[in-house]
Amino acid sequence: MSKVVEISPTTRHEGHSKLVLKVNDEGIVERGDWLSITPVRGVEKLAIGKTMHQVPKIASRVCGICPIAHTLAATEAMEASIGCEVPEDAMLLRYILQCANRLHSHALHNILSLPDMYLPGTDTKINPFSPEEPVRSVGLRIQRLREIAQTIGEIVGGEAIHPSNPRVGGMYTNISPLAKQKVYDLAKEGRVLAHEHSEFMIAVFRNFQKRDWAEVAGRQIPIPGDLGYHNQGYMAAAPIYGSSSMDENPTWFPERWTEVRPWDWYMGEEEITLEDKDYPVGGTTPAGEKTWPQMQACTGVPLYDGQPVEVGPRARLVQFRNYDEKGAMGLQIARQMEYEGCLYGIMEACDALDCSGKVLADEIPQGDGSLGWAANEAPRGCDVHLAKVKDGKVRWFSMLVPTTWNFPTCSRALTGAPWELAEVIVRAYDPCVSCATHMLVVDEDKRIVAQKLLE
Amino acid sequence: MVLGNYKTCVAARSTDKEILKGAQDGGIVTQLFAYALEEGIIDGAIVAGPSDEPWKPEPIVATTKAELLAARGTKYNLSPNMSLLKEATRSYGLDRIGIVGTPCQMQAVRKAQLYPIGMRDVPDKVALAIGIFCMENFPYQSIEALVEDHCNVKMESVTKMDIGKGKFWAYTERGAVAQIPLKVTHKYEQPGCHVCLDYVSNLADVSTGSVGTPDGWSTVFVRTKIGDDVWSKASAAGCFETKEIESGKTGLELVTKLATDKITKNQKTLEGRATFGVGKGLRNPYL
Repeated sequence: MSKVVEISPTTRHEGHSKLVLKVNDEGIVERGDWLSITPVRGVEKLAIGKTMHQVPKIASRVCGICPIAHTLAATEAMEASIGCEVPEDAMLLRYILQCANRLHSHALHNILSLPDMYLPGTDTKINPFSPEEPVRSVGLRIQRLREIAQTIGEIVGGEAIHPSNPRVGGMYTNISPLAKQKVYDLAKEGRVLAHEHSEFMIAVFRNFQKRDWAEVAGRQIPIPGDLGYHNQGYMAAAPIYGSSSMDENPTWFPERWTEVRPWDWYMGEEEITLEDKDYPVGGTTPAGEKTWPQMQACTGVPLYDGQPVEVGPRARLVQFRNYDEKGAMGLQIARQMEYEGCLYGIMEACDALDCSGKVLADEIPQGDGSLGWAANEAPRGCDVHLAKVKDGKVRWFSMLVPTTWNFPTCSRALTGAPWELAEVIVRAYDPCVSCATHMLVVDEDKRIVAQKLLE
Repeated sequence: MVLGNYKTCVAARSTDKEILKGAQDGGIVTQLFAYALEEGIIDGAIVAGPSDEPWKPEPIVATTKAELLAARGTKYNLSPNMSLLKEATRSYGLDRIGIVGTPCQMQAVRKAQLYPIGMRDVPDKVALAIGIFCMENFPYQSIEALVEDHCNVKMESVTKMDIGKGKFWAYTERGAVAQIPLKVTHKYEQPGCHVCLDYVSNLADVSTGSVGTPDGWSTVFVRTKIGDDVWSKASAAGCFETKEIESGKTGLELVTKLATDKITKNQKTLEGRATFGVGKGLRNPYL
């Protein structure tokens, strides 16, 4: 007889989500639903009627962790719709921004996933804020990596959070030779730190793979060898930057994308029958309460070739680097493997950048309403923005963000794991839920039902 | 306290002939920034550089002495130097910024440092703020009208503008000098200046101006620890020729008098504004 347990809210990730898990008598998940319960941002509706220059700035505001990805994806979706070619130096600046964003985001995620992990060779969980060595220097290194990335983002993008420099048609300003030198020096410093850091992090995750148990809620929970395995496919547009409908050979295909309503995907109404008061933090939802995932989820379920797919670091490595490790730790390790690439990317782009080069297109067409899309490889995966611009105004706008893709895939990866470790699997996806929420489904009485607004 | 807090007050001029040639008075700002640049105290300075139109300043980030030299001299109209403060830390990549400005701009710099809203990572990067004396400022159209219509001189021909001895002066290339009494200029002033209660840039690290010293010299107030540090190093390096400031009627007394005059006059505007309109006076920006 299976029981239902609900972890709400889930912690140590961006945004607000919950887990509804059907578990068997041994506490192993038979079916897991991971869903977003973050209030809707409404960015896609706000965008309609605004100028194409405003919308990327508004889209950026959906979240403060990858505003760069959203700005770039939205800007390039506009450019793709109007058919505007961007000068090469502007693309190099955007590339630097992209790498800086990924670097700071991955480093931030380490802080969130370390508390689940153990110091290799001990049964001590890692507190990343501990003043004791060796954790102290790891914490400092993470902060320095983030500082480096944010400073580079600030120099090239104008702001570390919500970059002001990118615009439709290129960038507002190029950077000075002094600024380029500073970016280069920061990247050089970061490269050494990133190398040490990724080695440390990979050692920690490998150690977790080898462990027999992990302590949750005062109990020793056995760690299965296939923790977080799933059989879904992967989707990635590029190893670092992305693709758009302007490309000669685009690597993302809108016709392969379909969307399912949460009503048709998630579990129906369930009564909670399993409760654990000791589960951190504050226990699971009390038994006897009701939960209704198909009504409560505020995301659409995007499918690629009719299936949920995984996006993110592992998807990029699988598609472009022949990486093949599965499971939650496989994903975590893939993320650490991307560290150094960000810094080499920044240095290569700096080498190629001409500081006195043009960064704005000579002509910016106003658009004829044709569909343009841009798939940007955000830290958490492929962030696709689609837009239709006519006479300089946005007529239609849609954001297909990474965590939206990962929700159904990760839900499948929960099957077979002890429910106490479900959050460890979720965290491996580095969920960033707030931007993933872009759908509100209401009926005439303003009750939330499955009625698709997104069209 | 009309002169603000200061550690020392001297009369000074640059020892660099090239700087003095195009300087308004003693070339203090250009020389101090040039020294700070050379010594790595600052990476660059935000100054009022030349623009496409004659005598219209455009804020620039000067990172070489040549750029500083191009910005010598007072332009007597608005140069929004603050507009580059944040950008200097961004696409210009500066870590230590020098900035020159009028008293109101010095207030803005300090406010930005104190409440850095929209100024992330800017406060700790202001390395040297030099303030200039300012009675009031003019919009560009005003200075154009004064020079072209009142002085009857073409803007392009003007080599130097000056305010002193109760007059506005325009010197030209061929040696002709036009002068008009200051009272003519009053209606052209920027109205916003009439609520300002600061004549000598009280909030700057170092403030300087022509009043109080003979022609070719500048009065210098060294106000802060940072200012004192840079000033004493620059003086020790032989950048400046200094002498004691006169205490008499043409010296510090004159500075005090003009500062008091400005404050008294503008206090009246402030009081007037407090009762302006019916039951909805304007706020005193100094309270």
